[in-house]
Amino acid sequence: MSAIETPRIVIVGGGPAGRAAHAALPGAVLIARPDATAWHAEPGHLWVEGDGRVWAEPFDALLVCADEPLLLATLGCGIQAGRVVADAAGRTGVPGISVAGRVAGAADRQDAERQAILAARALAAGSVDTDAPVIPPAETLAALRLDPVALAALLEQPVGLERDRAALAQHAILGAVVPARPVSLAALAGLVATMPEAVPPQADMDILA
Amino acid sequence: MTDPDILIVGGGLHGLSAALHLARAGRRVRVLEARQVGAQASGYSAGGVRTLGRHPAEVPLALEAIERWHTIADLVGEDCGFRPVGQVRVAETEAELASLAARVEHLRAAGWTHEELADADTVRRLLPAVAPHVVGGIVARRDGFASPLRTTRAFGRAAEAARAVVIEGARVAAVERQAGLWRLRTQGGETHAAPLLLNAAGAWGGRIARAAGEPIPFGFNAFQMLLTEALPPLLTPVVGAAGRPLSFKQSDSGHVMIGGGHKGQADLDTGAIRLDVPRLAYSARTALDLFPALQGARIVHAWAGIEGVTPDELPVIGRSAVADGLVHAFGFSGHGFALAPVIGARVAGLLLDGPEAHDLTAFAPARFTFGGPVPETRPALLQPAG
Repeated sequence: MSAIETPRIVIVGGGPAGRAAHAALPGAVLIARPDATAWHAEPGHLWVEGDGRVWAEPFDALLVCADEPLLLATLGCGIQAGRVVADAAGRTGVPGISVAGRVAGAADRQDAERQAILAARALAAGSVDTDAPVIPPAETLAALRLDPVALAALLEQPVGLERDRAALAQHAILGAVVPARPVSLAALAGLVATMPEAVPPQADMDILA
Repeated sequence: MTDPDILIVGGGLHGLSAALHLARAGRRVRVLEARQVGAQASGYSAGGVRTLGRHPAEVPLALEAIERWHTIADLVGEDCGFRPVGQVRVAETEAELASLAARVEHLRAAGWTHEELADADTVRRLLPAVAPHVVGGIVARRDGFASPLRTTRAFGRAAEAARAVVIEGARVAAVERQAGLWRLRTQGGETHAAPLLLNAAGAWGGRIARAAGEPIPFGFNAFQMLLTEALPPLLTPVVGAAGRPLSFKQSDSGHVMIGGGHKGQADLDTGAIRLDVPRLAYSARTALDLFPALQGARIVHAWAGIEGVTPDELPVIGRSAVADGLVHAFGFSGHGFALAPVIGARVAGLLLDGPEAHDLTAFAPARFTFGGPVPETRPALLQPAG
């Protein structure tokens, strides 16, 4: 009989919701600023900066308890009025991605903690793969696409509701806006020591459709 | 809408430049753009305006284009953010410097003097912040950079002012030639017809060509770029490297752009991009190696645009070898931005029954069928995307 592997759960956020979630899921990895900052996410791993370096933090399930709508939009979560759409257990509709706290619409600290505990219990119960319906992104489209330099000027503004709202409006027309938070160039440079092997162009033999 | 004389597939810089020249020649032009003007490579390019390091087949076009860039406002009514700050390709080893010297010698033998060999002191005068291990380089003083999306929109506005019609959200789903007309059906179900067709569909150009009965070997890349936060003045010219992919510049706002050719993954059907973080990291490492003053900088934006790429990394420009009334201008392989003012004029000439331009021979669509591109004795330098 093969052993059943425990899903690797990563929690983002060191506030009340994140701490409550971590207390309910003591085996989970906690990524919390200022020691560690999640600056980008891809399916199955989170990109983190901390202690002068950058690393990929793998996960089977991710519970975001910090106010990081850009990070969640990058993973394909639906956003409405700057808040991530989720069910009562914090499931976003993107398999393995849950939310709690202000990013999920919690009104106050108690509400954030209650959401976090519900989401943590759902993950502990093993509902990593959700059957919740996939909710399409619902951000407001920006009136005009920003060029990359103008978008950079927006993204270097202090993280907050106004910055995130404007960035999400660009996300709605451009696709993922990366990174969710600034990352140290030197720490990123330290990720690789040698030039990656060149890869050939992607092939395209498809037809119009 | 009146029936057009010419349909253009692709509302990127090359399609719009052709539309501008054709409309000013009095032709009725309709541009079909799948998403928005400049949605892919034209809006995401690094914006390099470069004669430096070009493949010899591209040098005449690039030299003609740079003259147009210096008066770009005369063509499109604004300066497109063009900054004639020069471009420098730095050598990090003596072997790289020897290779650059040989190239300059070769160009001079062909009568081209736009690239100058520069010793270490000259490079350091141009780039005071460059790392001490740089041993020299080459310089093209009339080169520079521009703002890609602003440029693309300027060409679009100028084309529309000349009565070209640009339709956004019109993704072409079918191409047919019937009774002397090209008939294009969009995903929305509309049909557009005209006797002449320009394929300027960028990374999707191969699909348009196949649909028109002309298979051309073709792929695509998602060239990645990074932008730092706004920094104090660090450099003026655009910088590349002889031995590794790099395109490095600082905008008027102080943001430093780092690109050059490291690739992410793209999906042509959805237009979605997945960045490759380790390859982004190597771009950051290259920039930091060459400019140690970036040690404390933070990256605030990373992105990629989808660019069509040919096997020889030269664009496909010319009349179709198999179909009447069809001209191709796609596959610029990551370095077509600077050529746009000239390519639009050349392509317009081909569509208006002008003579075949001998300086387009190396880019002929049929070159892959009949044994490859025109032979060159010297290849291009490493081509940084943008």
